[in-house]
Amino acid sequence: MAFNFNWSPLTADAGFYERARDLLTTALNKSPKPPIIVDDIFVTEFNLGSVPPDLEILEIGDLAEDRFRGIFKMCYSGDAFLTLKTRVQANPLNTYLSGKPGFASPEPLSASSSLTIPLQITLSEIKLSAFIIVVFSKQKGLTLVFRNDPLESLKVSSTFDSIPFVRDYLQRTIEQKLRDLMMDELPAIIHRLSLQIWCPDQIIKDDEEQSKETVDHTVNPLSTPPLDAVDAEGHLLDPAAISELSLEAGTETQSLFSQKSLFKLSSLTSTQETSSLFTPSIKEVMYRAWAGPSDRVDTTNTPGPATPSLHRTTSYTNGTAHTYTFSDTASQDQGHLPSRPSMVSLNSATAGLSLGSGRHSKAGRKKKTRVVNLRGKTSSEGGSDAGESSATASTSTAPASEPIMSHPILEVPEEEMPTNTNKVRFGAAHPRRPSFRGDREPASETVPSIEINAPNTTQKQPSRQPSPVDMKVPADWSRPRAPSEISPSVILEQAWVMKMAGEIARRVYDEKNRNPQFWEERDDTPPPAYQPRP
Amino acid sequence: MREFMQYVRNAFYGATGWSEDNSYKDLNVTARELIDFPLPRGIRLSLSSLATPHFATSYQLCNVGVVDGSISYLHSSVPLTAVPAQSDKIPLGALMRSYRGLHQLGSRGGTPWSWETGPQTGTIPQVPAVAEMDRIPNKDKSSLLYGRLYLPQSLLEAMVIKRFSSALQVQISAVSEQSLRNGGTMLSVVQYDRGNYGVEGLYSTDGGLLGLRGLYNFGGDASVATMGSPNGTGSLESTEKERIYGRFSAGGEMYYGTLNKSGGMSLGARFATLPTHKGTPLTATLTINPLMGNINTTYAVLAKDFLAMATRMEFNAYSYESDWAVGLEFWSNRRPAGFLLGAEPSLDLESDQSEPPRKKERSFQAKMEWRLDDPEPEPAKIIEKPTGSKEEYLGVFKARLSSNLNLGLVWEGRAKSLIFSLGTGVDLQRLGEPFRSLGLEVQYSS
Repeated sequence: MAFNFNWSPLTADAGFYERARDLLTTALNKSPKPPIIVDDIFVTEFNLGSVPPDLEILEIGDLAEDRFRGIFKMCYSGDAFLTLKTRVQANPLNTYLSGKPGFASPEPLSASSSLTIPLQITLSEIKLSAFIIVVFSKQKGLTLVFRNDPLESLKVSSTFDSIPFVRDYLQRTIEQKLRDLMMDELPAIIHRLSLQIWCPDQIIKDDEEQSKETVDHTVNPLSTPPLDAVDAEGHLLDPAAISELSLEAGTETQSLFSQKSLFKLSSLTSTQETSSLFTPSIKEVMYRAWAGPSDRVDTTNTPGPATPSLHRTTSYTNGTAHTYTFSDTASQDQGHLPSRPSMVSLNSATAGLSLGSGRHSKAGRKKKTRVVNLRGKTSSEGGSDAGESSATASTSTAPASEPIMSHPILEVPEEEMPTNTNKVRFGAAHPRRPSFRGDREPASETVPSIEINAPNTTQKQPSRQPSPVDMKVPADWSRPRAPSEISPSVILEQAWVMKMAGEIARRVYDEKNRNPQFWEERDDTPPPAYQPRP
Repeated sequence: MREFMQYVRNAFYGATGWSEDNSYKDLNVTARELIDFPLPRGIRLSLSSLATPHFATSYQLCNVGVVDGSISYLHSSVPLTAVPAQSDKIPLGALMRSYRGLHQLGSRGGTPWSWETGPQTGTIPQVPAVAEMDRIPNKDKSSLLYGRLYLPQSLLEAMVIKRFSSALQVQISAVSEQSLRNGGTMLSVVQYDRGNYGVEGLYSTDGGLLGLRGLYNFGGDASVATMGSPNGTGSLESTEKERIYGRFSAGGEMYYGTLNKSGGMSLGARFATLPTHKGTPLTATLTINPLMGNINTTYAVLAKDFLAMATRMEFNAYSYESDWAVGLEFWSNRRPAGFLLGAEPSLDLESDQSEPPRKKERSFQAKMEWRLDDPEPEPAKIIEKPTGSKEEYLGVFKARLSSNLNLGLVWEGRAKSLIFSLGTGVDLQRLGEPFRSLGLEVQYSS
């Protein structure tokens, strides 16, 4: 396979420079100019030079007839140059007065008289060095993103070169402007142009999707590495990495969620921390108060701390459900996260975390299948929960363990909340897991172990690896879903889930074999009954 | 055409005896108004009223593509009783006359200036007569408050003028609007006027601009007035003796923006004939901006009582850019066709003028002041003359032409009790589509 880049034919085209000059001139004069520029900006000279940029292919992620994704390294130190001509207002008072209301103007008599000076700016010796991510698909056009600041250096020469102050100022300003242009505007321009060429009908429609896609790109590389590292070593998550992760997701949350629902969620959380009697109602939220009779026994036993934590987590999980519908890519990477809160609420925080970490390594690898109907999942989840809850209730260990767990519970959601938004896929597995646990292990055994572990759960959480229960998850997981959802996306997802689950199970098994004593010591108490009302 | 509120403000200046002659800002105001008169745009209706002698309101409705308007209120601590505010009685000169002659120098030097003492043959078109001005108890402590709200934009203008003494006045104006930086801007000006010189200091919150400008009068009556008696007749005699009928003024301005570290300055000089001048009144100014190399000269002349002309030339010594503009103002006593339907506003005017007959002689003279614009050399002559010839002006035609061949035409006048302003801007460089703007303003006040 070979790529052929033509540099000289581009410049050999006689009409090319003229067209480019016209394009640039109109583009520069389109937006309203600052008052200091009193004339149109003309691009008088424009030359791409004879030295082509060096391109180095770093990675090609996806290659097909209609799509391409790759990362390049580009270096350019050619002889391209650009000359602009305009006229500027040299009297600072004149520009000061422009745009000011006349009523409160000092009305200088002649001190504001104009002095316009022709200005010629030449940009030359442009040095670029950048990592470029190129994503192309026939449907969505071409997206080109710079991963770093491409501009290394630039020489600005102007009419005012003899005045060092002005020269430095121009150099600074133009460099800054150019950086902004390359980082922000250029990708947008290129994308728009590509849309015009390949899919003119989608120009408007695709804009949103495109932005989403770029978001994905920015999120993926950042979030994946730290998570993988954790998995392989089975150690703590690096706190810095976590915070970075959560920050990333947090900003995304802001853009993806409506402020209104975020506000509702936060108010819901805060009501649990105060003595407010008012609880805002949120759609599609499973409240503890709705839980079945067996659950209520729990709540009566441990009324204080347990309830708030439960409310919190439920609200978060719900949030994840929403996110998921928006961006599926991100959810894969962090698919374990929703599981965390739910696990926590179920009193088995440690299991939840370890499970999540185990899974999510897989998630990072597999990216392209992501059509999941979250709603359906939650409902199936709910159904399985119902079954579980009865089982756990019978064990009667839940009430005892619950208060102990409440402390870590309170912490975990806060840490994970932002990331939380993205993961959905694996959430379904957890509620189900306890039921297996209940079948396999006697309840009495689990209770004491949990009590011991509870205080340092936060420490141990990451290090723990998925319990044997997880192995069973895949088989059980797909079962309830199949009848309820028949859409192709679901089938696809099922297949993927199966694959994922198998992988997870294998990993877990390996891990367990590696240090068996660890796994024995760790134990999940039967989760508290948790039955959402459909 | 000046707006009603500006007319009232000028009336306030007249009532308190403040003249803007000694402001460097207004050094070339005559030529500026003859050339840079505003062209009406779209349709604008204003409804104004001087409801009480202290309080004035004005409502304005404009339609330039979009409909907007403004509400303004004004309060003056000085009763503006003798100021004609009805639109059928407002002296047109006070609203439309551009040529601004010099005031009597030292009118508020030490003794309060009154209409009786000075012969005041000059033209004071902007200052309506306030007959009993010397009776105003504390005009040295007078103040004026003005506010205006532009409605859809919610732009607020406010102005406070406060006199602290006969020579010291503070003027604060502010604009508040969301789009402005910091939400608004405020300008405060301290004006100190000692007759033969005036100094102004200003500070603007926008960029922390500090400014200082001053004007010094010499020659003509200025030198005489300082040595002679402040009595008007005395100065008149002495000027006649010396055969100097003009006044020289020189001044400068300096600005420095404390926040943006930029500044500017200019120097200027003016020669204007005195009201006692027998020939054609003229005003010539020269301003120089040495920093920017800008030289600006204006020349305005009141060729006839009904005709004033002005030219302005600009040249930049650094960039060799030049500019010129000419403007003229032609008063007409003919009725604008189709507007006057039999009513004789001039007759109304005369009856109105004779209406406040408390001091017959004085009010008559006062009428002269703002009605009669030509510089009649002898007051006695004016008194002898019947007023009929002066009251005939029913409208004024203004035109200007600038170097980029932009022509501005305005007809302003009174029809019945409405004051009209109809104007258009014509671009002579594009004769295919010459009309750049077209506008009509209608003003009614009561």
